[in-house]
Amino acid sequence: MSERFVRHPDLRLADVEGDGVVLHLGSRRYFSVSESGLTLLQALDAPRSLEDLVQLLLDRYDVTPDQAEASVRTFLESCRAAELLVTQDAR
Amino acid sequence: MHRVLHGWLDGLRLQVPQPLALEVVVTDAPLPSLVETVFEQPEVRFARGPGGHGLRLEWQEAPAIADVAAGGTSVLVRLSLAAVERLDDCTRTFLMAVLVALLRRVGWHHLHAATAIDPAGRGWLVAGDAQAGKSTTAALLATWKWRVGTDDVAFLERHGEGVLVHTCRAPIALREGGRRLLARAGGVKLPARDKVGYWPEDLGGVWTPIVEPQIVIFTSVGDAQTTAEPLERRVAVTELVRWSAWVMLELDLAQQHLDLLTCLARQARCYRVTLGRDLFTRPNRLIELVA
Repeated sequence: MSERFVRHPDLRLADVEGDGVVLHLGSRRYFSVSESGLTLLQALDAPRSLEDLVQLLLDRYDVTPDQAEASVRTFLESCRAAELLVTQDAR
Repeated sequence: MHRVLHGWLDGLRLQVPQPLALEVVVTDAPLPSLVETVFEQPEVRFARGPGGHGLRLEWQEAPAIADVAAGGTSVLVRLSLAAVERLDDCTRTFLMAVLVALLRRVGWHHLHAATAIDPAGRGWLVAGDAQAGKSTTAALLATWKWRVGTDDVAFLERHGEGVLVHTCRAPIALREGGRRLLARAGGVKLPARDKVGYWPEDLGGVWTPIVEPQIVIFTSVGDAQTTAEPLERRVAVTELVRWSAWVMLELDLAQQHLDLLTCLARQARCYRVTLGRDLFTRPNRLIELVA
């Protein structure tokens, strides 16, 4: 069983020259995210596993697998804390 | 009542892109209360509309509610007799909020900002909260013969690849401090707001209903000389979100509103400006700072 993640339905995203601005309409909070953060949030319009997201960063950026995984884990933790994600269990 | 409402709407001189209908019914029947407030602004509370769609607005000063359907261009307003007795107050706050909700449905999205056009024809937008010096700046610009649209209520609209800003005609509302800085007497007392209103023409300017912003400034009031710091686009978007609280309302309209704010930040050069007293003696100071 592995977790899959999807963007909270109350999020709205803006792409501002590569960087992102994220609105959470439910909590009425807003956030700035980096280019890679925006890339991940855009991908999370459909359920993705940790491995899917790591592969996305490897495809897009010049990083090692370890760096990509560490980045994704940190990003997911931040998003979870801000309630930007919904977690699904996939069997 | 009809005379007052028609006078209010006509006086705003809004050039809306399609017909809107504001149906107002006076009733002595009890009005429903809001179940769950999703947003508040002074004197007005917002909830999801009947069936979870659209918006229901409630005036907090006397019984009055409005249901603004999702996707509709008409709104039903129910006013109690107590609300009708305070129609001027009701119009200024509650019905204005209803109008803002209705205008969203035709693609006009609200932003707290002043607007102006400088002598070179460049559009300016001055965003910030009630203490940010927007009204005093708008009045000062009018005295320099800039064209001024509004000191507070602006509506963004998509125009091709860019954004236009529409305004409704209303007096620039100055507190006593602003009047002193401008050394202005006269004006029209606005007792409910503890301010005095001046039309742009009273100050030597001209009213303009539409501005295409090329410069956006986010202002605060300081003690020293006026300064301007360029802002990254991403920071500018977050600032625009801050002064555009309605962007957080209604899932189906929020993305359109956010896209307009993003487009505006791309279209204009954006600055954080600390306003100093030197502005009052150096009419070109703002232009020099962003040149």
